[in-house]
Amino acid sequence: MSMAISVQDIGKQYWRAPRAAHQNSLREALSQSMRGLMSRRTEARRSNEGFWALKDVNFGIRHGENVGIIGLNGAGKSTLLKLISRIAAPTTGSIRLVGRVGALLEVGTGFHRELTGRENIFLYGSILGMGRQEIAAKFDAIVEFSEIGDFIDMPVKRYSSGMYVRLAFSVAAHLEPDILLLDEVLAVGDYAFQKKCIDFARRLQSKGSTILLVSHNMFSIKTMCQRVIYIKNGRVAFDGPTDEGLRHYEQDSYLADASWFRPESGHHPVKIREVTIADESGAPKTLFRHGERMRIRALYTASEPVAEPHVLFSITRSDELLCSNFSTLTDRAKLAPLSGDGEIELLTPPLTLNADTYTVSVVVRQRGFERLLAAQVGGRFHVEHPVFAPDVFGVFHQPGTWTSDAAPHR
Amino acid sequence: MMESLDALVLDASKHAVAGSSPELAAMPVTEIAPEDRILAFDATSVWRYRGLLRVLILRDLKVLYRQTALGACWAIAQPLFTVLIFTIIFGHFAKMPTDGAPYALFAGSAIILWTYFAEAVRRSSTGLVAEAELIRKIYFPRLVIPLATVVSPMVDFAIALGVMLALMVWYGVMPDWHLAFAIPTLAVTAMLALGVSLWLGPINVRFRDVKHTLPFVIQIWMYASPIVYASSIVPGSVRWLYALNPMVGLIEAFRFAILGGTPPDAFALAVSVTAASLLLFTGLIFFQRMERSFADVI
Repeated sequence: MSMAISVQDIGKQYWRAPRAAHQNSLREALSQSMRGLMSRRTEARRSNEGFWALKDVNFGIRHGENVGIIGLNGAGKSTLLKLISRIAAPTTGSIRLVGRVGALLEVGTGFHRELTGRENIFLYGSILGMGRQEIAAKFDAIVEFSEIGDFIDMPVKRYSSGMYVRLAFSVAAHLEPDILLLDEVLAVGDYAFQKKCIDFARRLQSKGSTILLVSHNMFSIKTMCQRVIYIKNGRVAFDGPTDEGLRHYEQDSYLADASWFRPESGHHPVKIREVTIADESGAPKTLFRHGERMRIRALYTASEPVAEPHVLFSITRSDELLCSNFSTLTDRAKLAPLSGDGEIELLTPPLTLNADTYTVSVVVRQRGFERLLAAQVGGRFHVEHPVFAPDVFGVFHQPGTWTSDAAPHR
Repeated sequence: MMESLDALVLDASKHAVAGSSPELAAMPVTEIAPEDRILAFDATSVWRYRGLLRVLILRDLKVLYRQTALGACWAIAQPLFTVLIFTIIFGHFAKMPTDGAPYALFAGSAIILWTYFAEAVRRSSTGLVAEAELIRKIYFPRLVIPLATVVSPMVDFAIALGVMLALMVWYGVMPDWHLAFAIPTLAVTAMLALGVSLWLGPINVRFRDVKHTLPFVIQIWMYASPIVYASSIVPGSVRWLYALNPMVGLIEAFRFAILGGTPPDAFALAVSVTAASLLLFTGLIFFQRMERSFADVI
């Protein structure tokens, strides 16, 4: 079968940040290039060696295939998507795309705040490459999908962020491309709208569209893709069935920095070495019954002493929903200062989370300064229960006390 | 939950199987590779995005005077007040020679063309940076941005021209068939503005110094052009040097189109057309060379 996307020997080189910071004014760039002229040119070039965000990337995606791109922060996933969508140019290699390409790297860039929803549909549609007639023909469907209703003639600066995102996604969704490139865009909007988006992607797929999805949300990857490409340090580390790819990713993401964490100048003052999950008695396990207590233990190394640590153990569901935070701050727990190697333990109350897979993350802050010292992804655990599934019972389940009026017709 | 996940995955693969095979022959093919040609100008992709060009121009127009009390009156007020101030200072106090025309008309005819040029260069050179978000997240031929920003100030120009014609009626000076020259003059001015911007825009992406330098370069350029004075006051010995400024020929031609009088200097006009063509041609090459790295450095 023919390929929708063929990527051959793709490499992308970026110049190191210090060089960019140095040459941000014309004067510095001029003096630098003068120096470059005086010294031997090859030498100057070599010292400016950039780093490769992507290197030797090869893969092919057939028409109608849905592929997820996964990887830790900075692995090069988004760079890859930028190259395929022609936003940035590759340094080496070539890409061949067969079909109309729709890329959604961020929902709503291109909207103008002063314009109304109606005007923005035409503006954003054109930016995405739709013709005027095409937009006009799809206009009603776009408005209906977005659930914006009468607000369509109001400037979008008065929209709530949810409305804004819904309208933007609706426009993009109606592009009906042969190849759809998505970067984390499904992570926006409320649950109902996300479901709508996934349904829409399904419908596109059933029409034979090819979808390439970059996401941190393993749930959407799992629901939408049969195949994943796992990018590690700019190279393809795995390319194959989703389940196997996710296993590799989960192994590597254990103890990795949380996706939102940007350590100050790459320095980690506190490092979590290990996170163990155990039952109340301390026996390690990962499969829990609904209502069990749990002991979570984090082994740390503090390279600088932390006088008043403030620790969070967060529990996130498989679809990236933050379910609960256990916090030393809210529990008024005074932990001993962190220094050198040590461990922090939490005994949870009976967990009433419904059946699903959960991830524990550890966040360490310095109280007072509220400086973020560490935020790492810990282990995974599963909760089982035959009835309490999240699609019906939500995040947690606890029995309540019910009463009813004995005589409704007084 | 694990079962239901598996069910979903199965469901997804079923969809893929059900997907009908698309008509591959009709699908557009895009090839992406590192560029090594010097002249890589791709006019077809710009043409394909002409709808975007139109929408961006309309957007600029709609947004410009939105949430202002006077609205589009600003487009009338601005040239009117500039003409008024210049008439008082240079016409009445300094008594600049105008080769016979009333000073307000003499200055006004030049100011509207100059304002267009200055505004087009300003918006167009800084437009790429203003649309940085768009450039970082969405693909489209980047040339659309300077093109749109060269066209959109033409609307202000048209309004100002209307004011100018009204002013002429007030002074009892009637425009004649010379007015037809205004169109090619405007076209060459737009080419010149685009050519300058195709050079300055990419440089501004990399070095924001351009944005800070531009206002006074435009200011100096204005006084180096025959706007508040007639080029006849420039000494003959340096007239050729003066005419190397491509705006000299254009402003004289435009003034001639509106007021008649002395036809523009042929040498100055030749300089204007040559400079505009040359800057536009080299600018296109430069822009296309640079545009591939915009998303990385902006």
